[in-house]
Amino acid sequence: MNRTRILLSAATLLFASGAMPVLADDVVLGGSAPMSGAQAEFGQSQIDGAQLYFDQLNEKGGIKGNKVVFRPLDDRADPRQGTLVAQQFCDDSAVIGVIGHMNSGVTMPALDIYSECGMPQVVPATNPELMRMGFKTVVRPVANDFVQGALPAKYVTGKLGLKNAVLVHDKTVFGQGISGVFKDNFEAGGGKVSGTYGTNPEDVDFSALIASIKLENPDVVYMGAGMPQLALFLKQMREQGLKAQFIGPDIGFTVDFITQVGAASAEGALMTFQLPPYDSSPELKDFSDRHQARFGRAPGPYASLGFANAQVMAAAVEKAESLDREGVLAQLHGVTVDTLLGPVAFDENGENTTAPMYLYVVKDGKFELIKQ
Amino acid sequence: MGNSVIVRRLGLLAVLALCVVLLALVPYLPSYYVRVADSILIYIILAVGLNLVVGYAGLLDLGFIAFYAVGAYAYALLASGQFDIHLPFIVVLFIGAAAGAIAGVLLGFPVLKLRGDYLAIVTLSFGEIIRIAINNADELTNGPQGIAGLDRASLFGLPLTSPVHFYWLLLVLTVIVCAGVYYMERSILGKAWRALREDQDVVRGLGINTTTLKLLAFALSAAIGGAGGVIFGAFQRFVSPESFTFQESLLVVLIIIIGGVGNIVGVIAGAVVLVILPEILHFAAQYRLLIYGVVLVTVIVLRPGGLVSPRFNLGFIIRKVRTLWLSPSKT
Amino acid sequence: MFDYFLQQLIFALAIGAIYGLIALGYTMVYGVMRLINFAHGEFFMLGPYIYTFLFSGLLGLGGLAPVLDSAIAIVASFVIVGLLGVAIERFAYRPLRAYGRLAPMLSALGMSIVLQSAVRVTVGPQPVHFPAIVESTPIDALGGMVTTVQLGILAAAVLLMVGLALFVNGTRLGIWIRAASESWTTSSLLGIRVNRAVSLVFFIGPGLGAMAGIMYASYYGIMQPTMGSVIGLKAFTAAILGGIGSIPGAMLGGFLLGAIEVFGTAFLPILSFGYIGTEYRDVFAFAVLILVLLFKPAGLLGETVSEETTVAKKDY
Repeated sequence: MNRTRILLSAATLLFASGAMPVLADDVVLGGSAPMSGAQAEFGQSQIDGAQLYFDQLNEKGGIKGNKVVFRPLDDRADPRQGTLVAQQFCDDSAVIGVIGHMNSGVTMPALDIYSECGMPQVVPATNPELMRMGFKTVVRPVANDFVQGALPAKYVTGKLGLKNAVLVHDKTVFGQGISGVFKDNFEAGGGKVSGTYGTNPEDVDFSALIASIKLENPDVVYMGAGMPQLALFLKQMREQGLKAQFIGPDIGFTVDFITQVGAASAEGALMTFQLPPYDSSPELKDFSDRHQARFGRAPGPYASLGFANAQVMAAAVEKAESLDREGVLAQLHGVTVDTLLGPVAFDENGENTTAPMYLYVVKDGKFELIKQ
Repeated sequence: MGNSVIVRRLGLLAVLALCVVLLALVPYLPSYYVRVADSILIYIILAVGLNLVVGYAGLLDLGFIAFYAVGAYAYALLASGQFDIHLPFIVVLFIGAAAGAIAGVLLGFPVLKLRGDYLAIVTLSFGEIIRIAINNADELTNGPQGIAGLDRASLFGLPLTSPVHFYWLLLVLTVIVCAGVYYMERSILGKAWRALREDQDVVRGLGINTTTLKLLAFALSAAIGGAGGVIFGAFQRFVSPESFTFQESLLVVLIIIIGGVGNIVGVIAGAVVLVILPEILHFAAQYRLLIYGVVLVTVIVLRPGGLVSPRFNLGFIIRKVRTLWLSPSKT
Repeated sequence: MFDYFLQQLIFALAIGAIYGLIALGYTMVYGVMRLINFAHGEFFMLGPYIYTFLFSGLLGLGGLAPVLDSAIAIVASFVIVGLLGVAIERFAYRPLRAYGRLAPMLSALGMSIVLQSAVRVTVGPQPVHFPAIVESTPIDALGGMVTTVQLGILAAAVLLMVGLALFVNGTRLGIWIRAASESWTTSSLLGIRVNRAVSLVFFIGPGLGAMAGIMYASYYGIMQPTMGSVIGLKAFTAAILGGIGSIPGAMLGGFLLGAIEVFGTAFLPILSFGYIGTEYRDVFAFAVLILVLLFKPAGLLGETVSEETTVAKKDY
């Protein structure tokens, strides 16, 4: 008896929560990323970025006069919850496009579900594998890990002439993948990788590891990991007097990185990022200001990516002949947009053909652009 | 036979019929609800399995998800392009269960002489060791990338592709597992386990080998976990280490405690509540986990013995149905 | 090679001191309650957040000398987190005493989720820079290098541990705690107020956790809402390694776990000719734990339990 009562009340609640008021001609777009749990910081910043763009769009009258309703759902970075979110978007015929998910492992099983219901999908996850699985419903405006790992490798072997590297990665899809790409390009440029070290994604103490890296005496340390691990590693590396050139991926491109490392220790560190500097163009400055005004804080690590993904999705909806999934899907691959990330156009796999990548160096406590 | 008996019979029949109708209606709901139901059923299977160890034998296992991982990876390795091996689903289901049981015995054999929390921490360590090993063994498991594109499962020629197919499969398996465990609970073995939970030394004093008893509970529960993993793998068609974290182990333990330890009906209620709760809480966005935690603490403080009282178990329901039907005068 | 070894030893001591302090909280609570307090890692996390809040508050009020400000903030964080611990025990654990050991454990898990999420939604999920309390200057020591922060952590940890040992062994209140750990029934028959002893434990344990959190944050320079989860689990492992319920055991376990981790990272790849990489560090740590327990089933310094003190005869 108890059980049925629980079942019944739970079921009614479920149905009640599913039915949010939506006007008939609203454009409903879904978004999903971890918004609670350990990776909430990254997921939330992405959602905030997208929200910011849709707000901006609505201020200007929405898409073809229709208001855009952005509906973010938390996937907790868990593949199982990701499939539930995907199914929820699919079942709701009002949802005509989804921006998600942030983690490659969550995106992977969800792709199946989205493609089955013909859902146009803009993917933020950067694992190269995702776009090679032959799904026709997806595009990815962000550069995948290949571009990001290759650029700094070419720069240090070519321009700086450094030939002896050590790789550190956190054994995640992203960290391991990107340092693998760096390794291939570094070796192609005539360099030698003398050691590869794995850590845990949540590690904070790298002192023992750094002491043993010191024995290898490398010129370059490439680290494929997240934040705050990049900052902690560099800080501890400098404390131990390891002078090698430090290179990290886009996640480290935040003011926090420099504060957490300390300006003096951060000096000279290289970082790749998909954007030109925030103060380099009025649009970017504007983005940063608006973010501050809307959420009361500076853009988080993936806010700009969320914003650009939203721009791509909105452009596809704008061009669509009918405001439904088929209409948007028909335009998705052909869309060309000038986003915050620069111009975007897609190849047959849905990868961005022009995805730019910029290399920055920390100088006097600030990131300075050195190479595109 | 008085009127009241007929009324009570009809009432009982109505409740049973309602349960059956509800279960039969699930496939007609939108796919999302079917998927949620699938999740619930998987967790029921896992929790019923773990309950053998925690609820009956009184051993706290904090690394149960390792067996689930073993099963899921068994399917991923034996039914995918990874090594180009494509065994049928039903075969892998048995292999997964066997692999789980073997892992259970391998772990259990050395450590089962430990008591209480020492056993808990060793199982926790084992769970973490398995997860980290899977994450590090790049050649075998693709490491953190996971294995994608697992075979679409089929059973006796029937393809298992949609959430509805898995719903029926899981429902049948849940019934089988629950029935099996219920039968075992009432057998001499189940009684020995319960005795073990109450007082190990007395059981040992009776000349019963407690280690064998514990090992048996461990192996059976691990086999159920392994089988659950195989279904999970076939359902998601993708496995990666992030599905098998310590948090998942804790979730299964939570399901048991919040529902009612050692009680199959309780375990079912626990799984329903703890799988549905986060889904309902989607509206709360970033407050989702906070509310979830508050609900957990409140429920346990208000109902420390679990949501379902120990008296209201499968045996009670079956007795009730039977007596009302066969000899109504006794009720 | 000696320099290298020495250097690694210094790192091991610094991280081990922090593990030990957190492990003390686990072990004390376990001693009197037989409860794995899964919320303990969150007290560790609350320490630096409350400290920062108080410290900047004091500065905002004009403040005294910075040293004094920070001393006040440290003591106040101990007290606030301690009181929070007492309150949580009172409302989330005490009502469950009669219901075996699983119910309080679930309650602890729930509290952990609540505390962590509460901090996350109030201050945001991002890691925040934590300014060092003591300026970090490197000092040469016998060919190794040690920083003032590391020395400070070691000194503070040893001081707190010795203080705790003196308190538990030498004072009346300490004797209450020890008596309650031995047997509740006997203690209450002897007129000891067991509930007070429990409250005391729930004041000291979380307070020490908060201290460890402040040290940790100033050592690494950051704090974040999730920082207690992983380290809490590790400290719990350390407590078990040393023998849970035993205060010297927790300290030993902490230092030992620090050593195992550091040496696992530093020597595993060398000893296995690169075959076992540094990513197996935690596997190594857990394997050592399992091995120790196989030979010493009650941990290194845990008493081989008698019938009276054991978890009764019932495991769970």
